[in-house]
Amino acid sequence: MLSPSFHNDAAPPVNDPGHVVIVGAGIVGISAAFFLSRRGVQVTVLEAAAPAAGASGASDGAVSVASKRPGLMMQLGLAGIATYRALASGGVLAGEFRERPTFIVASNAAEAEVLAEHAAALAGAGVTVRLLARAEITGLLPMVSEEVVAVARVEGEGHAIGYRVVERLARAGRFTLRRSAPVDGFVRDKTGRVTAVSTGQGGLIAADAVLVAAGNGSERLLGLSGALIPRKGQLLLTERAAGRLGAPAGPLMSSRYLLSKGAAKGGPADAARSFGLVIDPLATGQFLIGGTREDGVTNTHNDLAAVRHILREAVTLMPDLARLRLLRAFSGIRTATVDRLPIVGAVPGAENLFVATGFEGDGICLGPFMGELVHRLICGEPAAVDINALSPARFTPRAA
Amino acid sequence: MTEWKSMDIDLLVVGGGPAGMAAAVEARQAGLQVLLVDQRERLGGAIYCQPDPGCAPVAMSARHRARWQALSREFAASGAAVEFHTSFAGLDSEGLALLERRASAGEAGRVLPVRARAVVLAVGAVERIAPLPGWELPGVMSAGGLQMMMKRRGAVPVGRTLLAGSGPLLLAVASQMVALGQPPVAIIERARPFGQPAELLKLLATPGYLREALAILARLHKARVPVLHATQLTSIRLAAGGGLEVECRGQGDERRFSVDRVALHDGIRPNDFGLPGGAATGGPVLSRAGDCREALGAVAAIEDGKRAGREAARMLGLKLPAMSLQPVKRERRAQAVLARLFSPALTTPPADLPDETVICRCENRTAGDLRGLLAGHDGLSAREVKLNGRFAMGSCQGRFCADATVDFLRRCGAGAEALEASHLTGRRWPVRPVGIATLLAEGGAAADPASVIRIEEE
Repeated sequence: MLSPSFHNDAAPPVNDPGHVVIVGAGIVGISAAFFLSRRGVQVTVLEAAAPAAGASGASDGAVSVASKRPGLMMQLGLAGIATYRALASGGVLAGEFRERPTFIVASNAAEAEVLAEHAAALAGAGVTVRLLARAEITGLLPMVSEEVVAVARVEGEGHAIGYRVVERLARAGRFTLRRSAPVDGFVRDKTGRVTAVSTGQGGLIAADAVLVAAGNGSERLLGLSGALIPRKGQLLLTERAAGRLGAPAGPLMSSRYLLSKGAAKGGPADAARSFGLVIDPLATGQFLIGGTREDGVTNTHNDLAAVRHILREAVTLMPDLARLRLLRAFSGIRTATVDRLPIVGAVPGAENLFVATGFEGDGICLGPFMGELVHRLICGEPAAVDINALSPARFTPRAA
Repeated sequence: MTEWKSMDIDLLVVGGGPAGMAAAVEARQAGLQVLLVDQRERLGGAIYCQPDPGCAPVAMSARHRARWQALSREFAASGAAVEFHTSFAGLDSEGLALLERRASAGEAGRVLPVRARAVVLAVGAVERIAPLPGWELPGVMSAGGLQMMMKRRGAVPVGRTLLAGSGPLLLAVASQMVALGQPPVAIIERARPFGQPAELLKLLATPGYLREALAILARLHKARVPVLHATQLTSIRLAAGGGLEVECRGQGDERRFSVDRVALHDGIRPNDFGLPGGAATGGPVLSRAGDCREALGAVAAIEDGKRAGREAARMLGLKLPAMSLQPVKRERRAQAVLARLFSPALTTPPADLPDETVICRCENRTAGDLRGLLAGHDGLSAREVKLNGRFAMGSCQGRFCADATVDFLRRCGAGAEALEASHLTGRRWPVRPVGIATLLAEGGAAADPASVIRIEEE
């Protein structure tokens, strides 16, 4: 699927795309800028606020397929993990990708049934996963509640902090990054080709190719009306446990999360607000606990009811958490799509305009891989994975 | 005493110092139902901090004492309800004021959500402390913190104490130490307050301040406390045999002190870290009073508290005249004179701080880390300073480092002129870290309002 040495591929492209303007300095835009610039392509990134100011800087950092069903998103997720592994061992993300298992936890018989079915599906997709015996649960996860009846240990997973990945790639890449530079439209020629990007300050920046990786802001720029759904997630961060309580070797994911995400068969349709539970032990000794899924909500506030609900569930699963203090509550706004697939590819009607957005909760996992993939599209090279199903054409069928 | 049957109240006042007490008195006079909360166990705030049971009060000037006694009497007669050991954890996005009642004997801590029509935040001021090498060592404290210890215990902690930094508080603390029989080793003052006779003369406009200043100076002179002007600390180190080794630099000369304790102070600023600003939809009318709005001291705080209490009543629809801002303006002028007198003659530019100087004490981030963050970035955003630099991200949530970090960035970083400390500290809840068990405690839930707050019925 991926050449293991792609990260060393710094040869100039056969057809230089010229000056590439990237809209959005989140993990996807910055990854694309990194891969383009290391092949000698001239890149300018225009960011409305600051790098990682959106979902990239307010996410849980899961580099994981544990909650996925077999299919394209699983395939992309695995490629995402492989990309992290390559970039970490190849240098540029050294130290920023922490490999660890994910523990999916069932607290009753019904959840255990969903979990067993899910584990079998993961295994069928080639993921290493194992249901732990009762004695193993006690040995490996002494911190979880006695109510836990089943645990699936998913191997080959990892964690990366979105804003740190962005910072690392931004420093390693040789491209221009402009903060506080919102884009409000494009100038096109008669064929529909984009010739320049119009910035909020009234200026124009000439472009030979444009990538829109602006999360929820992409909809307005590309006229993808109704395709994107902002989906707020509230996240909680504890103080450092500093050895006061045992941390699991990887995140604890309630199998109810599978239902909340609709990943397992029989999952509920999206409600306006649903909860999932992941307790993630960070390298700092803090715990990151999430979270909500709130459709159509674009404020980044936190409300007591949601925070209490998340914490109550977390303490039920891992009672010792009650001994820590809540340091911070925050929110991020994911960019989801109506058909649950990202939007990646050339925009119909403009041969040099590309988009990469709609990764919902998978932006950190998929960001570097998608940046690599999109940089190939922009250079006119074949992609490593067939992404026709992600084409924006499904939302802009009549664009001329 | 009856059970408070609903969590709806007219006015929540956060902070039982002079501003909060005055706001509560004024709002009660206007007919509002008032709940005042304070994180400690007594009224008075920092300025009128009362001694612990069995401890003697520190000396206070007569006019100061009279003002406190009058305010206490008015408050006691006002009928405002008071909850001690209770701090403000923030305002959630639904407009609920979250009150954290600390655990006490026989009672677990809990968070009480309260729906108030108006909230006055009167949480006072905090000290500024300019970072210097060694300021994070044990034995180094703030001069205001030392003063609070003396006010509570009626005694100076044993050992040799050096007071350093800038501002009139250093003189006041030294004078109280003298009165308690343990003068400081010296006062190291950056500024040269007597170098500006024209400004000194302006103190004649506020004779109260002048009388107090003269009394303090006379006491320090009599006790032969050395006061070194235009001098600043350059480093603090742990001494081999215990205690602290302090170096300071004046004009041309360097001096060393061996002490047990260093109390630092570089002025005060509003304690507005993380406080909510605008009202949430459907949330309470929010305002700030006293030093937490503008740090002007106790006299202004009382006047500003009255104003805020009256203003809350007006905002809730009561027909009352607005209050004059004249008394606050007079205090502002007096404080401006003091600020100019203590405008430091020397400050270490952040660029000169050694790399190993700690800026953020919670996450142990240094001046060198900040320099590394700045390298190669123009117009670094506050968000990047936090996320990538980890400044203002620790348990104190920026209280101790936001000012110094921003000062450093403004002077050393390109395009950082518009950065402010509030960009680093943000507005969020919890305002301070709160125990998860406390947040989840039974009885604090909205399902059980009856057990929450007892209020005095008239």
